[in-house]
Amino acid sequence: MKRRICAAWIAALCGLAVLTGCATLDRGGQSAVLRAKRRVAPAIVHVRPVKEVFDAGRRKEMLVMGSGFIISRDGYVVTNEHVAGQSTSVQCVLSDNREVQARVVGTDVETDIAVLKLETDSPLPSVRMGRSDRLEAGQSVLALGSPHGLARSVSLGIVSVPDRFLSDKSLMEAPYYNWIQTDAAINPGNSGGPLVNLRGEVVGVNARVLSGAENVGFAIPVDIVKDVVADIIENGHVRRGWLGIEFQEMLAKGDVTSEEGVIISDVDRLSPAAEAEIKPGDILTAVNGRRVHARYEEDLPGVRLRIASLPVGETATLTLLRGGEPLEVSLVAEEKTSLRGSQQAFEEWGFTASEVTTEVARRAQLQRRTGILVSGVDPGGRAAVAGLQQGDIVLQVDGEEIPTLTAFNAAYARLRDGKARLVMLFVQRGALTRFVLVNTTAEAAPAASEPGEDVSNER
Amino acid sequence: MSAERFRSLAAVLLFAAVSAGPSRAQDDFALSTINGAYERLSPSLCTVLFTQEVTDARTGETRRRDGSSLGLVVRADGLVVTHGHLVQSNAEPVEVRVRLGKGAGAKEHPARVLKKPDDINLVFLKVQADAPLDLPAVSFSKSPLVLGEPVAVFGLSGETLDLEPGVLVARVSAILDEPRTTYALDGNIRFGYVTGPVVNTRGEVVGVVGFDLGRAEGGELHTRSGHPLVYQTELFEGHVASPPSEDASPGSREEAWLGVFTQPLTSDFAEYWKVEDTGGLIVSTVLPDSPALRAGIQSGDIIKSFDGKPMEARQDRDVLAFTQLVRDTGVDRTVSLGLLRAGQPVTVEATLSRLPATAQEAGEYDDAVLGLAVREITRDVRILLNLAEDVQGVIVRRVRPGSPAQAANIRPGVIILAVGDQPTTTLAEYEAALGQLREKKPPEISVFARVGAQTGFFRVQPRY
Repeated sequence: MKRRICAAWIAALCGLAVLTGCATLDRGGQSAVLRAKRRVAPAIVHVRPVKEVFDAGRRKEMLVMGSGFIISRDGYVVTNEHVAGQSTSVQCVLSDNREVQARVVGTDVETDIAVLKLETDSPLPSVRMGRSDRLEAGQSVLALGSPHGLARSVSLGIVSVPDRFLSDKSLMEAPYYNWIQTDAAINPGNSGGPLVNLRGEVVGVNARVLSGAENVGFAIPVDIVKDVVADIIENGHVRRGWLGIEFQEMLAKGDVTSEEGVIISDVDRLSPAAEAEIKPGDILTAVNGRRVHARYEEDLPGVRLRIASLPVGETATLTLLRGGEPLEVSLVAEEKTSLRGSQQAFEEWGFTASEVTTEVARRAQLQRRTGILVSGVDPGGRAAVAGLQQGDIVLQVDGEEIPTLTAFNAAYARLRDGKARLVMLFVQRGALTRFVLVNTTAEAAPAASEPGEDVSNER
Repeated sequence: MSAERFRSLAAVLLFAAVSAGPSRAQDDFALSTINGAYERLSPSLCTVLFTQEVTDARTGETRRRDGSSLGLVVRADGLVVTHGHLVQSNAEPVEVRVRLGKGAGAKEHPARVLKKPDDINLVFLKVQADAPLDLPAVSFSKSPLVLGEPVAVFGLSGETLDLEPGVLVARVSAILDEPRTTYALDGNIRFGYVTGPVVNTRGEVVGVVGFDLGRAEGGELHTRSGHPLVYQTELFEGHVASPPSEDASPGSREEAWLGVFTQPLTSDFAEYWKVEDTGGLIVSTVLPDSPALRAGIQSGDIIKSFDGKPMEARQDRDVLAFTQLVRDTGVDRTVSLGLLRAGQPVTVEATLSRLPATAQEAGEYDDAVLGLAVREITRDVRILLNLAEDVQGVIVRRVRPGSPAQAANIRPGVIILAVGDQPTTTLAEYEAALGQLREKKPPEISVFARVGAQTGFFRVQPRY
């Protein structure tokens, strides 16, 4: 009797909750959430990398926090590149509170994915990877991770849009996929954590929030994550083909009659495509005989992925339409260079510099990729006193061409050990060139004191 | 104490304060000098009333605004000088009137804006009248000023004081000696006093108040902004003697151009290159399609003489003096340059050409079919935006709100390379392409353009 009343009470309460519109799930939904959480939670990792940052002409270290998840019993962990990239060491806290060091296996800036390997011999719990191509708006998902450093947090929501295209011009640059947009609470610190369906399978990697908005979070779809992770584990990085072409969807050009294909909008002047005399306005209809089509901008990441998947160094055949006439061109794919060149600090002179990537070379209107890009200048340092500025591209040192960061390193080491008082840099500054004379014996200002450890750097 | 008595006491105290200053006449003003100058100069002060069209650099939207500034009659036939802010890269006057005289005798005349000189931040106006004018013009003298010297500045009080002519006293706070002598003023010079006549203690008008000494050429972009200066007579007497043309086309200027950017040869540079430490100009950049390039001048050359004159630059401001020298040398003149190339003396001959047009003089085309105003890409814009020589197009200056171009997301700064299948490498080609549009009226066209470092297509539905 008593038990029955009790049951009635519970049923009444549940009904009330539903009637009043509370977000409480019915019993079936609740248990599904719990089942999914229990499958994934043991494999969640709280990630604490010490990152190398280059700021105002100096190299500094910074402790950041993020999330990650174990994908194999032997301890491979997936997280975001913006969490674990450029880190010198990574400490991980597992779900049983064990602290384990991890090494960075590899990172991929363009998809914002990093793979870590936990340095432990004991077998570990791991997640099951699902599929992201079958997601549907409205489907329930969980986000797990460490929002604002609060480990073991779970939040619940739905898929808002399964394939959100965000323009490349924003900071949300994602050339090869559309984002999963979700209203599950995602905060700084959630980065690298999994987005999970109610079967307890990972469908995405939480990576971004729209600042100023509420309940607008974005995850990287797991389908591309799986490919990138496999490449990183095998090669340490992702190797992509590059032809030097940018695309626009067919709807972007009003006067196109073709139903098929994708518009070529830009051809890099120093690229295989330029050599093959491909022109903006040409329409690409097939790659190696397989059709490509992008009617809407959501279709563009798929096309870019097709080009990036071309084997480097091998001949590819593109089928084009030019002025309505079909045309076939053959060209050899080059390896795509990283969006972000490696960076280095030159303490004695007080500046930092990075490799000139294809993108930097293009923006600086360089006739070829050469020189090093000054990424920061330490106020009061010798470089600053000489008039070197952030954004300068150092083309020559003492009249010797500097094609790469490695070449500059060699010159720098030689000059540091040598006796020369004055060193001449020939730099490109915007459209102009300029001579910068560094006095290597000048008393450099003492280094600014290091800022205190900032633990609020959730990613 | 009655108000009357208070006022007279205050006047006595004020007078006492003024006369208690240092005894040397040079150091301070006699009240009679100020009042005498006021009598002479106030008839030459006028009010410039204008309507400007101002463009928002980011959105390209334009709006009109009314304003007024001080004008100064510098020639009896109706030449008036006023603040350079009347014509700026983002503001153009659409209507200008000049109010002469005061009270019941005041008369308003329409005025034409003459081409803004690019060496000084002043605008000259030509007052329009049916009969020949005989206005009370200011006559200038060329006395130099000394540091700390007091000067009286005449201008207009604020609108709440009915724009009554007034006077301020300031001192010369710094003397900038290159490329040409300019004086900085202390004190709070109010807006109505900008372009006001500057009078020394002897009562001579030695210049006008100016802001910004901007020069876009000559190595670095130099501006001395935000600080009141004296534009002394030498800086603008040429413009008064032969006023700028009313025609804004670039052909009307006669300044010469070599096409190099230079750095001064400091002692450290001389030591590094093992050359004599007697100054000079290091050529850092040789511009494409320039007289310098044709003459074979290379970056790294050191200019030791120009047209027979020794070049002894050691400081950044010496570079400006060199630029000025080149400008004044004369278009189409062939000059010889003494260079040091890798330490060895070399002589080259360069034929100077006309200074290329600047963005302010660029031809513009505005139309409603797309809702765009575009300009030709001038040399200075090409340098500023770091555009390669093979980028040939027209640059979007303004986008009309609600226009087809705005709907297509075309923004100011976009460089239009083709409209439909018509390349638009020049303004004339762009005009022709739009002419074709108006004729054929396609419902939809494709605009090929460069945005930053990338090209792409904009889909536009023109409005006919």
